[in-house]
Amino acid sequence: MRKHSQAAEEAEVDITPMLDIVFIMLIFFIVTASFVKEAGIDVNRPDSQTSVPSDKESILILIKQSGEVLMQRRQVDPRAVRANVERLTAENPEAAVVIQADKAAKIGVTTQVIDSVRQAGVRDYVVATSKE
Amino acid sequence: MRRHAQKEEQTEINITPMLDVVFIMLIFFIVTASFIKEAGIEIFRPAAETAEKQDKASILIAINENGQVWMEKQVVDPSAVRANVERLRAENPEGSVVVQADKDAQVGITTEVIDAVRDAGVSNYVLSTEEAQ
Repeated sequence: MRKHSQAAEEAEVDITPMLDIVFIMLIFFIVTASFVKEAGIDVNRPDSQTSVPSDKESILILIKQSGEVLMQRRQVDPRAVRANVERLTAENPEAAVVIQADKAAKIGVTTQVIDSVRQAGVRDYVVATSKE
Repeated sequence: MRRHAQKEEQTEINITPMLDVVFIMLIFFIVTASFIKEAGIEIFRPAAETAEKQDKASILIAINENGQVWMEKQVVDPSAVRANVERLRAENPEGSVVVQADKDAQVGITTEVIDAVRDAGVSNYVLSTEEAQ
């Protein structure tokens, strides 16, 4: 013990392993922090308490189980939905859009219709379901 | 020059500032990292042009074309979605919920899942889409 107390105590902590771990953790968190960017669209559902607001006119888009899209009682091509919605909102800027899809309709067609409504500049839309 | 040649050159790099920076960066990334709970299956997403990138997606719910609902790599019953979302939300209150519905999935089951997500108190949920070609 005496030999140690005469020489100056130089305790050298080897920090190499700690640096190793720290750097690996840092790189891990940097990599996992910037990852999967899901892209998505809003699907607004009608509130369960209230039904579709009847005080203002709403533009109704019907999607049947077969994938047919009906607007104003006439069948339209899904690609024509945007133009139709633009026309109807120009006539009636206050109207909300209601997309009524059959429960057995496919998400592919429904999303296309929602996308067309959004492209027409409408964000005030609601997705409701019906059963035929 | 001769004087320097006789003495021993001792260059010690002071690494304290680097350690400071490294630790602060590490703590920052640990705090801001939030892990994504993968749904567990691959989905063919519907295409949409008006999709918005989600920065804080952390809860993923997948619905395949047969109407199976997948969360955290296992099939869940649609009626159990709400409880699962509430639990995951408690772990990560900031994350948004992404519903990855296959483009051949039915609207009925998808809206059932979306309603369960809404009942769980989540307001920032989206339907996952891919870039339209």
